[in-house]
Amino acid sequence: MQTNVSSLMDFFYEKMYGDLKILEQDRLAIVAKLQKTAIILSLVGVMVFFILTRSFPLTFLQAFALVGTLLFLIYMFIYRHLSSGYRLLFKEEVIAKIVQFIDPSLLYQANKHISEKEYTTSELFSENFDRLSGNDLVQGTINGVNLKFSDLHVEKQMKDKEGREHWESIFQGLFFIVDFNKHFTYKTVVLPEIASNTFGILGEWIQEFNKSHGELVKLDNPAFEKLFVVYGNQIESRYILSPSMMERILDFKAKTGKVLSISFIPSKMYLCVDYKKDLFEPILTQSLLDFAPIKEYFKLLSLILGIVEAFKLDEKIWSKR
Amino acid sequence: MQTFLIVVGIIMFVVILMYNSLIAKKNQVSNIFASLDAMLKKRYDLLPNLVASVQEYTHHEKTTLEQITTLRSHALSGTKNTQETIELDANFSKLLGGLMVSVENYPDLKANENFLHLQHTLNELEEQISAARRAYNQSVTDFNNALEMFPTNMMAGFMRLEHQALFETSIPERNTVDIKKIFKH
Repeated sequence: MQTNVSSLMDFFYEKMYGDLKILEQDRLAIVAKLQKTAIILSLVGVMVFFILTRSFPLTFLQAFALVGTLLFLIYMFIYRHLSSGYRLLFKEEVIAKIVQFIDPSLLYQANKHISEKEYTTSELFSENFDRLSGNDLVQGTINGVNLKFSDLHVEKQMKDKEGREHWESIFQGLFFIVDFNKHFTYKTVVLPEIASNTFGILGEWIQEFNKSHGELVKLDNPAFEKLFVVYGNQIESRYILSPSMMERILDFKAKTGKVLSISFIPSKMYLCVDYKKDLFEPILTQSLLDFAPIKEYFKLLSLILGIVEAFKLDEKIWSKR
Repeated sequence: MQTFLIVVGIIMFVVILMYNSLIAKKNQVSNIFASLDAMLKKRYDLLPNLVASVQEYTHHEKTTLEQITTLRSHALSGTKNTQETIELDANFSKLLGGLMVSVENYPDLKANENFLHLQHTLNELEEQISAARRAYNQSVTDFNNALEMFPTNMMAGFMRLEHQALFETSIPERNTVDIKKIFKH
């Protein structure tokens, strides 16, 4: 696994720069078109606004809201239409190449994601969901350990008091699956600590009575206990979450600065990093020939792929050898 | 009269809750102890094989191996109470830890497939035992807390429940590095 930023810089100028120059032209053309569209739409908007207020019985505010919404929808439609081709090319030229640079054996598929079955197997989110989407699936082996991850967005449909429907996110971020190096038979679920931080002792009681994930397992690392609540089997959960494993999870959490949920379902570890946004997407206003954003994508990818080494999942000193 | 009955009802309810929670905690301790004991027995089962493979290659570890064998037969003779099991486990961990450091001096032994397998199994078992020890200590802490905290301490007094001992994990004594010896070679 390649994690050196200076070699990435060489790779960027030697292997990526040529193709990116062509793609940069596309980007500039799209930005110019979008700017033109914005100007034309604004002019049309002003005209429609005046027609509406003069010839129709609409107040200024009503006309403004109507024109504003309409223009926004048209602009978004054009934006999506113009940028969709660029988005695919970007993924091919930037994300796929960075993944290849990190480890040539990894397979990257821009339009695939972690399956519904894998999501439900993880048992990390007990809520029912109505829609599951995602992209940027990476899979392969690092130091002999099988892994896969992708962007994932899981939502459910909700109705408000007036009966209007809207979508609510259950999870949006990175969903990571990796072979675990210890042999175990019961499931262990590590969830972010909310109840006892918010409700104190009462929260602990609630946790104890919540048996949907198994028994509450109180661990002997106070820092870990403050951030996570663990359900599973009293002995096996502690076998999986050894003192060093808890430290590694805490380190990883500090590095990402995001909410983590982890589950250990026989032979695999499932890890969710709640980024609350779609990762590895192009930013149209950002130049492709700039090294800084490339470095950011690389850092994020190496952080995730580095889980195998960070959690020492490649040390198969156990019976799985 | 009605108020009196309600008060008595509430008191009864609280007493039952306290009683049940204490019993649940006590059973949790014995359950985990039983699992821990099973793992310790598994380790005893491995020991004859380990002693046999180490004996074949080493001549200087005789005392340690003899100690392990004697301790093992002592462990398997008759039923042991919690305190005795805790002491036996601490002694085994210390002896095995020392032995695993010493075997570093025998390259032939370290290359032996059979020994390697034993070492890995033992390592895994040690991790499991350590997890079970932590689980046991947590359940004992919960139980002891209930024994000391108000109002469960009064209930525990009536039930004549006694404090349980914690497993003290002993870190195997490692041979300190002798610098003089290194420079001699």
